[in-house]
Amino acid sequence: MTYIGKSVKRVEDKRFLTGKGRYTDDIVLPGMTYACIIRSPYAHAKITGIDTSAAEGMEGVVAIFTGKDIAAAGVNGVPCGWQVNFKNGDTMKEPPHPLLVADVVKHVGDNVAMVIAESREIAKDAAEMVEIDYEELDAVANAAKAVKDGAPQVHPDAPGNLCFDWELGNPKEEVDAAMDAAHHITKLDFTNQRLIPNAIEPRSAIGHYESAGDKYTLYTTSQNPHLTRLLISAFVLGIPEHRVRVVAPDVGGGFGSKIFHYTEEALVVWASKQINRPIKWTAERSESFMTDAHGRDHVTTAEMGFDAEGNIVGLRVNTLANLGAYLSTFAPCVPTWLHGTLLQGLYTTPKINVDVTGVFTHTTPVDAYRGAGRPEATYLLERLLDTAALEMNMDPAELRLKNFIPPFDGVEQEGYATQVALQYDSGNYHRVLERALEMVGYDDFRKEQAEARANGKYLGIGFSTYIEACGIAPSAVVGALGARAGLYEVGQVRVQPTGKVSVYTGAHSHGQGHETTFAQVVADKFGIALDDVEIVHGDSESVAFGMGTYGSRSLAVGGSAIIKSIEKVLEKGAKIAAHKLEAAEGDLEFAEGKWTVKGTDKSIGFGDVALTAYVPHDYPEGLEPGMDFSSFYDPANFTYPFGAHIAIVEVDKDTGSVKLKRFIAVDDVGNVINPMIVDGQIHGGVAQGIGQALFEGAIYDENAQLINGSYMDYTMPRADDLPAFEIDRTVTPCPHNPLGVKGAGEAGAIGSTPAVVNAVMDALSPFGVKNLEMPLTPERVWRAMQ
Amino acid sequence: MKLKGQHNFKTTPDVLWDKLMDADTLARITPGVSRLDSKGEDIYEAIADVKLGPVKGSFKGELSVLEKLEPESFILNIKQNSKIGNVSAEVHIFLKPITEEETEMSFDGKAKLSGLLARTGQRVLSGVANTLSKQFFSAMEEEVSNASLS
Repeated sequence: MTYIGKSVKRVEDKRFLTGKGRYTDDIVLPGMTYACIIRSPYAHAKITGIDTSAAEGMEGVVAIFTGKDIAAAGVNGVPCGWQVNFKNGDTMKEPPHPLLVADVVKHVGDNVAMVIAESREIAKDAAEMVEIDYEELDAVANAAKAVKDGAPQVHPDAPGNLCFDWELGNPKEEVDAAMDAAHHITKLDFTNQRLIPNAIEPRSAIGHYESAGDKYTLYTTSQNPHLTRLLISAFVLGIPEHRVRVVAPDVGGGFGSKIFHYTEEALVVWASKQINRPIKWTAERSESFMTDAHGRDHVTTAEMGFDAEGNIVGLRVNTLANLGAYLSTFAPCVPTWLHGTLLQGLYTTPKINVDVTGVFTHTTPVDAYRGAGRPEATYLLERLLDTAALEMNMDPAELRLKNFIPPFDGVEQEGYATQVALQYDSGNYHRVLERALEMVGYDDFRKEQAEARANGKYLGIGFSTYIEACGIAPSAVVGALGARAGLYEVGQVRVQPTGKVSVYTGAHSHGQGHETTFAQVVADKFGIALDDVEIVHGDSESVAFGMGTYGSRSLAVGGSAIIKSIEKVLEKGAKIAAHKLEAAEGDLEFAEGKWTVKGTDKSIGFGDVALTAYVPHDYPEGLEPGMDFSSFYDPANFTYPFGAHIAIVEVDKDTGSVKLKRFIAVDDVGNVINPMIVDGQIHGGVAQGIGQALFEGAIYDENAQLINGSYMDYTMPRADDLPAFEIDRTVTPCPHNPLGVKGAGEAGAIGSTPAVVNAVMDALSPFGVKNLEMPLTPERVWRAMQ
Repeated sequence: MKLKGQHNFKTTPDVLWDKLMDADTLARITPGVSRLDSKGEDIYEAIADVKLGPVKGSFKGELSVLEKLEPESFILNIKQNSKIGNVSAEVHIFLKPITEEETEMSFDGKAKLSGLLARTGQRVLSGVANTLSKQFFSAMEEEVSNASLS
């Protein structure tokens, strides 16, 4: 039986679909109390007084904590895990992010006080009785406004609201010279708008202090529980790590927003000790809108230069990245090392310079959201390409094919060294675009489009060919780039005496189906049934260590760690088998779950060898009993999936509404373990990318109030907004990890957005419209047509 | 958010002015206001229940009347707090005689919203403000016509 490459149904779906999933908010501990966080209604205000007396007197209220209590207890704020310095070498500005604010609140939703009570309802009612006086101050939400002279200042120690400035690529003078010599320059100014992640499961955290063992347990909705434990122990609360257990049970989606260590997690842990009872906090949807780290929010000017034949000769990019009011865990890395490094795209651009300024504003912190920096880079490049094709009267597909990096497999041919620090592993970019063009029937479409226009119907086609860097990441490399953590992964394989296998992985599924994909790999490698493999994740007590799930890394990095341990098991198993079969190890081969002496029918099964390891009566001399191996895998490079997405839209000339008629995605994510799961990832990512193009976007008013913080006001894509996606794959294996896999989680969200916007611009070309800001709402499109 | 509106009344500026400066009248005719207590010269404490589209709240706060230019204009300063967010507004109110028996009342101002009110109410708010001002104007019309009857 082989499982790799088969669309095995997801093991975890049985519990999810029958309501048996166990999420943080499902957990109820004896003596549990409930917390309500009182949040600032203002974007920027001085707290002039807090009166908790009425609330404290209410029946069922256990405790109320304010910023003064936190400050008096000497509790630190939550730290940032990535450092990006100023160009002049100065350290980035890293203002404190307190668990509860004592003096000046800095965004709507900032934590002001925590009310703990016997029930959620009492906590909420009591929170309403807490009187807080504010002196409102001027606020700024927009990065471009925040850097202007006289703008309201977010932090006194970050003058001009600057966190860092940064550049990457070829020296500016060289790029300027290339651009000066260009035959044609295409320039776009645009905003890559702020998105709100909207995981189905709101964030939740339970702190449980047990005085008996002086132990702290945190149950939390996290994509990486071990990192959360490390940050709580080493930076925020100073509790020794061996006294802190972090459990992330089933997690209902995250899209990046649950990577980070949030203030509420540390708060419930700290307060649980103060009241000596467990405390649960679960966000209401409104709190999710206000306090889950947001994504994107770049203001960019980008210019691409071409020679007379349409070859790209240079790229110049200036970006202001809105970081929000505080630095979330990985915030500085997103607009820099996950964005600037991707500006080579799939093209042979010889000169690239990217300049990024990180800016504080009075808004919710911004951090990684599905794709994280790479969608922004792809949007920039792909919008430039389609716009340039229009301006130079060239075909957008041909313009791309002309500029693609030639195929390389990373084995026979070397990886491709970009102008922006990365070395691509393997790629065949022509193949994905050619396949997508074939699927869409490109020549026929152009005829159909011309006929439709003659009949007053506006069809458009848009292209996007993307690359991403994922499988994050080689520790030494990211360390040199400012990461304050390693980005390896841990995989432990414990073969039980009966030959059943428990696998402990530091990757943590929040919907990706690890329990299925990882089990497929393990079952195949051992030649055992899928049912005989259990995947354990999300608990720092059982999993040795881990760096979590994000950056499309789980299979490429976590899967590779498991493979390393599998190899150790097989190596030891061969020694035991050789002993039992009285043969030399070199004469054995392992296949279909047993070791066989080559050329004979003498064999011993995996289960028998496992049992022998635990009952070592007749056993190789000097060999340890047991069959349990743990490995750390630190990747040699990032992985580089790529693909071609094509959208076909029709714009209604009377209403401006955009109908997405077809969406074609040809992705190359390397080898595929479970095609159904990969398809699902592509579908979900594409839907999210379409959401950015057409529907989504956080809106702040002039007082930095978030004015669309509910599902009545924030538009999410719905099933009936989307056509049936037409997807296909090519396979260019990753040359540097044992499974040859590249990662599929973010691809859809990276490639799809510019394809849709390009398609709308193509449809609007008879109106002379070249650039519109996302989301492309009917109003915006209609106005542009007038 | 901008606040703007106007209405013509069949009365003189002086009658309107007196009505506008009378706390009891205002408490009676302002939509949602349940209490308006004088807290000193031209300062009032107000309690109001307002439903704004999807959000509903009990507001408490201060109203103050500034820059009085009888009977032509004044500025109404509003600061209202509630559990669903706070409102602060400054509205300039003008009374302009059209004929001997007709006066135009107009207002022009800006409101700042915060909290849940800003997050979920904003989109429908100018519509709500319009409705509330219409309600106010028609209630005032009734007051004025009662006054001329008596």
